[in-house]
Amino acid sequence: MGLLTGLRSSISRAASTLFSDEEPKRIGIYGPPNAGKTTLSNRIVRDWTEHGDAVGPESHIPHETRRARRRENIEIERDGKTVTIDVVDTPGVTTKVDYTEFLEHDMEKEDAVRRSREATEGVAEAMHWLREDVDGVIYVLDSTTDPFTQVNTMLIGIIESQDLPVLILANKIDLEDSSVQRIRNAFPQHETIPLSALEGDNMDEVYDNIAEYFG
Amino acid sequence: MPHQCTDCGQGFDDGSKEMLSGCPNCGGTKFQYKPAGASTVDTPAEPPEPPEPAVDSTVARTVGNAATAVRDLVSPSSTSASTEEDVPTSGSPTPAEDHAQASARSEVVSPDELPPAPDRFRSAPQMDDSAETTHSPLESKEEQDEATDISRNPSVSPPDSTASDEVASSADSEDDQPSRPGLSELRKELNDQFESIRVVEPGQYELNLMELYDREEYIIALQEDGKYTIQVPERWND
Repeated sequence: MGLLTGLRSSISRAASTLFSDEEPKRIGIYGPPNAGKTTLSNRIVRDWTEHGDAVGPESHIPHETRRARRRENIEIERDGKTVTIDVVDTPGVTTKVDYTEFLEHDMEKEDAVRRSREATEGVAEAMHWLREDVDGVIYVLDSTTDPFTQVNTMLIGIIESQDLPVLILANKIDLEDSSVQRIRNAFPQHETIPLSALEGDNMDEVYDNIAEYFG
Repeated sequence: MPHQCTDCGQGFDDGSKEMLSGCPNCGGTKFQYKPAGASTVDTPAEPPEPPEPAVDSTVARTVGNAATAVRDLVSPSSTSASTEEDVPTSGSPTPAEDHAQASARSEVVSPDELPPAPDRFRSAPQMDDSAETTHSPLESKEEQDEATDISRNPSVSPPDSTASDEVASSADSEDDQPSRPGLSELRKELNDQFESIRVVEPGQYELNLMELYDREEYIIALQEDGKYTIQVPERWND
């Protein structure tokens, strides 16, 4: 009887270990609008899933992503080990949304206002996910722009205070104005990885770090 | 009855607790905001809810400090205003910041519209009450200009008692010293802050990220006509 009980508990212990190991970490891809979050999400999904469907449409117009989108069970292989993550592509976080910005992109006023409203809802949703639903954060920054903004500092501050593992990606290194050092200087307390999600430059280092931080 | 259930038409007062768990009549979670004008100003709001435990206060403090640091760095001219901010607050500075700012923003309202008794500010639970009341005229004013602070509408419990006390002290001290130097700077600074989402005009929004992050409920749909939908958490501050 005692043997049976012992056996049963050891099986259930093994099973729980197994399941907890397999439980994928949910990684939120955060950052300001137009940093390349969706481009990165799409690249990760295309690199590591068989069908490689896009997570969402990419666009040079800000706030293309206005709802958080999730792709589950992406298995990333590094050094013979497999790390399973769920990727959540989130709307760009900002403190101001103004429809007039979209009018410059040949958009009708009505569409621009709707886009603006949806973008605002998207930011609320992204902040909600950050509070409730992510186990780690990939913070994407456009390395051609000044990283030292209130939005970035505030979000990184929230992430730090929650003790979430965070990886900072300096995106768009294929562009001439890119400065990775500027981003390193802004957030010296975190690992910063340069990349071009669009061109696929330096993705190996990105995946190495994803496996290390979120594995 | 500025809040109305869009399903059954049931009305709710500002600060009403019932609507926070959905419409008691039909279970609907979609409400329409109808500013009631000056009449709501004199009507005290519903009994306020007990203060929420300060779960995220350290978060808010860390981030708030960081944000202040950035603000100072970005615009050196605002340094004096930031110093001013610290004057009225006594305890932990930042979680109160937004609320103090929100409260100070209501100072735009003419002083005789403010609740006369300073006692109203003393106890924590009444803070929400007073903030709600003093805010109402601003809201209706903003409404006329097609500007609404929608986050006020699904009114929720005050974040913590520390914040409340600080709001109280800031409100008091400003009442006492209306001509304090730098106050206009401070007010300008404070006016830049607000709760959650501010509709400047349809299609133009200003967002307070800390408030959005700190809130347990979240706004899932905005509409230009003043309607909004919130997600009601399953357990509300048990």
